[in-house]
Amino acid sequence: MIEVEKMSKAYGTQRALNDVSLQVPPGAIGLLGPNGAGKTTLIKCLLNLESPTSGTAKVLGVDIKVSNRSSREKVGYSPERDCHIPGMAGCEYVTYCGQLSGMTFRQARQRAHEILDLVGMGQERYRSVDTYSTGMRQRAKLAQALVHDPKIVFLDEPTNGLDPAGREHILTLVGSLWRELNISVVISSHLLQDIERICDRVIIIAHGRLLVHDRIDVLKNQRRRSVEITPSGELDRFASALTAAGSTVERLSNGRLRLEAPSESIEWILELIRTNRLPPAEIVGNPNVLHELFLASLSENGNDL
Amino acid sequence: METTFDLSRWTEKPHGLAYRRWAIVSTGLRQVLRLRTFRILLFIGWAAGALIALAGFVFSQSVANGGWLEALAANLGARVESVVAAFNAVVLLYPDVCVHGLFTIIFGLQSFIALWLCLVGLTALIPRLITQDRASNALTIYLARPLTSADYLIGKLGIVAGLVLVLWTAPLLSGWLLSMLLSPNQDFLVYSIRPLGNALLFNGIALLSLAAISLGVSAVSRSSRNTIILWIGLWVVAGVIAAHPNNPAWLRHASFSQNLAEIRKSVFRVDQVLTRAADELPLFNRELTASFRRGAEETATDESRGAAVGLGVLVLLSAGVFFRKLRPE
Repeated sequence: MIEVEKMSKAYGTQRALNDVSLQVPPGAIGLLGPNGAGKTTLIKCLLNLESPTSGTAKVLGVDIKVSNRSSREKVGYSPERDCHIPGMAGCEYVTYCGQLSGMTFRQARQRAHEILDLVGMGQERYRSVDTYSTGMRQRAKLAQALVHDPKIVFLDEPTNGLDPAGREHILTLVGSLWRELNISVVISSHLLQDIERICDRVIIIAHGRLLVHDRIDVLKNQRRRSVEITPSGELDRFASALTAAGSTVERLSNGRLRLEAPSESIEWILELIRTNRLPPAEIVGNPNVLHELFLASLSENGNDL
Repeated sequence: METTFDLSRWTEKPHGLAYRRWAIVSTGLRQVLRLRTFRILLFIGWAAGALIALAGFVFSQSVANGGWLEALAANLGARVESVVAAFNAVVLLYPDVCVHGLFTIIFGLQSFIALWLCLVGLTALIPRLITQDRASNALTIYLARPLTSADYLIGKLGIVAGLVLVLWTAPLLSGWLLSMLLSPNQDFLVYSIRPLGNALLFNGIALLSLAAISLGVSAVSRSSRNTIILWIGLWVVAGVIAAHPNNPAWLRHASFSQNLAEIRKSVFRVDQVLTRAADELPLFNRELTASFRRGAEETATDESRGAAVGLGVLVLLSAGVFFRKLRPE
């Protein structure tokens, strides 16, 4: 879906991207990195919004330099910064964006209304985009990125400025794009739990260099497995039972118990609860693994946050 | 809120580049047409077009055998009748001077009014061209689609061209066409073609230069207010300074409106029309001949070359500005 070969981008003496090479298959891909890592620059270079200093790239099999326009025909982009075309109502704006991608007015208008429904915009679509709140603008940005039915969509911090309900809605939608519509998603976000929730693959970059690129489940398995247990009561008895079973239990300040797990399976914990008649508990395998992985990747490569 | 995928899929081949550019032009013009100011300008522009048709109609009816002027003159006595008959004879004998001259003057006046209307219209349009797009980072939205900055620019040029076409070119052509339909003979068609060609030539020069300059001005700032101030400054203030005859040549050609006025003079050549009328028409009134000669001196220009160079420099400067600013920020 995306092939990048030794791509570099320099602004004067500062290198925003440094020899990045990638082969990304279709799917939901999380793009992680500290501030100024080069995430947005990578996306902009792939869209030809910035010209790479060196290197080549293909998006959906089309060379971005050789076929500048056609490389973006089936690509959607929701930028991080507030972007909109002024003086238009929401539905008019999204329709216009569809036309700019080559849809007829009728097709674009129909898709615009469907997509605006999808992103959760009601009557606000008939108001001028200039009067929208941050959350509304975020939804409008997502709608314009999806109106022309792209095969891949780049989302740069798509949940910025959304209230919790709106964020949940957009995350559910973005997560479903690949699963239900086969639209590949490249999502750049600082919120690791969002990436972990909706993506099956992760790319970590820092200081313009690619640090990690793999499936999240593969990366999880490479790290030590841990389990967090939140018992509904009898915390001490729970901890004793786990210790007696041979686990090293760490009590967390939030009332949870953390222990290293010998395998992916949690069957042995369920068995322990049954035999010791322990109260029910919430069991989460490998919590915060992406967070740990992110920090570890940065420190292994000598990068500080 | 629940996410459902009650969604139609768009699998058709996208329309080509010309369609996408046209989408920019048509949407931009639709937005402009919503402005009340623009509707008023449109009314004035088309009224000027209707006046061309009316002037042509009145003139052609005046010289036609059995026309209303002849009938009126017959009622006013023998003296008036003979004056009108002489006038008709002059027009019929010298159509190359009379018809050509009349249409040159009419089209010259129309171009003056239409240029002024376009400048007023551009004052309302200019922040909407690039300024507001820069302020709202809309370039990113355009350029993340299968479009380049050149396509964006062509679309915006098309909006200015559309404005000039509906305020100037279309009323001009419609007015001329209508007056030709109402004309009594072919002379009107034959001898009005050249003035029409001159009018369209000036229209084209103004269209290209106004499009380039307005895009350049629109690209300078991200603030609509600053853009309007800059535009009015270039149009009115520079125009007033440049109009002073004692200023050095470079200052006199630093105003695009003044340069266009000089180019209009050299394209229409009203001075030649008046000189020919004074030389060739059998006018027995010396005062009339002298006034034709005075008019010819006043409308003559020797600054067309400097004006063309000045306008060219302003267009190049504007092109430099908008090419430099047309990058996503």
